[in-house]
Amino acid sequence: MTNRLLPIRMVTGAETVLAGPRQIQLKRVARMLLDNIVWLILALCLLIFSLSISGFFSYENYVNILYQSVFIAILGIAEAFVLISGNMDLSVESVAACTAIISVWLCASSPYASGLLLNTWAGLGIVLLIGAGIGAFNAFFVLRLKVDSFLVTLSTYIVVKGLAVLITGGMGMNGLPAAFRLVDTAKVLNIPLMVFLMILLYLFFSFLLRRTRFGRHVYIIGGNKTAAYNFGISVNRVLLGVFVLSGVISAITGWFMAARTNGATASMATGFLFEVLAAVVIGGVSLSGGMGSLVGVFAGALILSTIHSALNITAASPFLTEVMRGLLILVAVVLDALRRMFR
Amino acid sequence: MTPRERVSRGRAEAEKARRKVILRLEGISKSFGSVVAVNNVSFEIYENEKIALVGDNGAGKSTLIKIISGNFPPDRGEVYLDGRRVSFKSPVDARKSGIETVYQDLSVCNNLDSIANLFIGRELTHRILGLPILRGKEMEDTTNEVLQKVGISMPSVRDRMEYLSGGQRQAVALGRFVAWGKRLVLLDEPTAALGVRETKQVLTLVESTAREKTSILLISHNLLQVFEVVDRIVVLRHGEVVGVREKNTTTPDEIVSMITGAIFIQDRKRDAPAKKRR
Repeated sequence: MTNRLLPIRMVTGAETVLAGPRQIQLKRVARMLLDNIVWLILALCLLIFSLSISGFFSYENYVNILYQSVFIAILGIAEAFVLISGNMDLSVESVAACTAIISVWLCASSPYASGLLLNTWAGLGIVLLIGAGIGAFNAFFVLRLKVDSFLVTLSTYIVVKGLAVLITGGMGMNGLPAAFRLVDTAKVLNIPLMVFLMILLYLFFSFLLRRTRFGRHVYIIGGNKTAAYNFGISVNRVLLGVFVLSGVISAITGWFMAARTNGATASMATGFLFEVLAAVVIGGVSLSGGMGSLVGVFAGALILSTIHSALNITAASPFLTEVMRGLLILVAVVLDALRRMFR
Repeated sequence: MTPRERVSRGRAEAEKARRKVILRLEGISKSFGSVVAVNNVSFEIYENEKIALVGDNGAGKSTLIKIISGNFPPDRGEVYLDGRRVSFKSPVDARKSGIETVYQDLSVCNNLDSIANLFIGRELTHRILGLPILRGKEMEDTTNEVLQKVGISMPSVRDRMEYLSGGQRQAVALGRFVAWGKRLVLLDEPTAALGVRETKQVLTLVESTAREKTSILLISHNLLQVFEVVDRIVVLRHGEVVGVREKNTTTPDEIVSMITGAIFIQDRKRDAPAKKRR
């Protein structure tokens, strides 16, 4: 890891002198373009679809694009934190599904639910704790037993979802209390509350990542773990924080999902993982750690939901949707490779 | 050794006695499993002195520097800093005592800018609602100041390190010891990844820093460089000190002989330097 970071060429001072200010300026512009290319793609998508698809360009549809991006966008925050720290979390989808199912099981009046009919806030408190617990569980294996995070979270991905379905018997449940559903039912300017909450979450976590010591340390660890250790950063504590954060954010997504469907089914959130990874990587977060910003991830999530919306309106075949999904991931990975090549 | 050399060495010793010892190692030993990396090493570093630690691969240089910088404790032996016995639990402990290490691989984060790299692990913050918020402006100003002192110009301290040249990167790594290396700076092959020009700049910086009261311990394979910079040379072989020489009273040939263990074999002395120099 560290060796890769060493300069490969012998860079002499003369080279720096030869590259004139104009060239340096050009390079800087090109870099900025590649770093922010996600916004260009988003703008192009919106422009092309708005002009070519009738019914695409409307307030309702634009609100819908935002509304449909909420789950992927929020899970994107979780995944971005973990990826920037140089790890991987495949369990975000399962944690969201599991916490959605359990929160409904705790709070809903459905005959298949627990019958506890817990107060909304008590139910949410419990699932947030469950999210944090799963994050800590992942962190334990990654940090104490030094297992690769990909493998650890791959197994939690499968286990967690299985557990939730096991507890609830795999039955669909509904009948949530009104307070629980408020994030979905309350609207301002016809925009559901959860959209505003998503933006708030983005503002808060962007601040955490960019302006606090914790966020700085996440970048440092993702960039050069040895250096982080050598300079006295408590690597394990920061990474534990990152995994727990990922679990909690996924649990918040679970709450929003349950509120929107007014219940839970065993197949909830299926396929979210790859969309989240696509959104995050298109948004400029590097799979090899240390790079990326949340604002880019947000744009990445918007691109995905813009394309979904276009496919929906044109009533495209669901198989085409699958193909598009796959291609988007390819685009994301190629972008990641391009960025690395350009450095 | 000619009689004249012996006299001048004696004079140097007498001069040393008047100077203040910053760091003293006494009987340091360290083994990894059955491999003895460092065996009963003792020497001292004086205030304001530049000293080199040389030896072949596996001679124990890195182990020794890691003991001094607090990466791990010695099995036996003691480290004294300013006459006080110290036992560092971590690199942070050593750094708090004023021992700064510049690592072989530069230890920079290429994904971050010069500011973040200079302040790595010691970010300036103020607490708002218990959350440590970075003091960005202040850190940027300090970075500009420090890099100016280092004498390397950069387009912007906000550029990510990966866009900088090797020399500029090294300047940031060295900037850390200019800013925080109070007592002793450990330089582990600081120019291994650098071109000729950058190497020169680094050495100049090392010189000027040493003039400002900081002692320097340099590890290098490049004997020319060692002779250019330091006052005294400690030679390690198989984990033991085989000799300490004043720069003025020795030659690169003698040092090479000590490194390779060929010190008493006259006819091998001629061929050895070619092997050691890069």
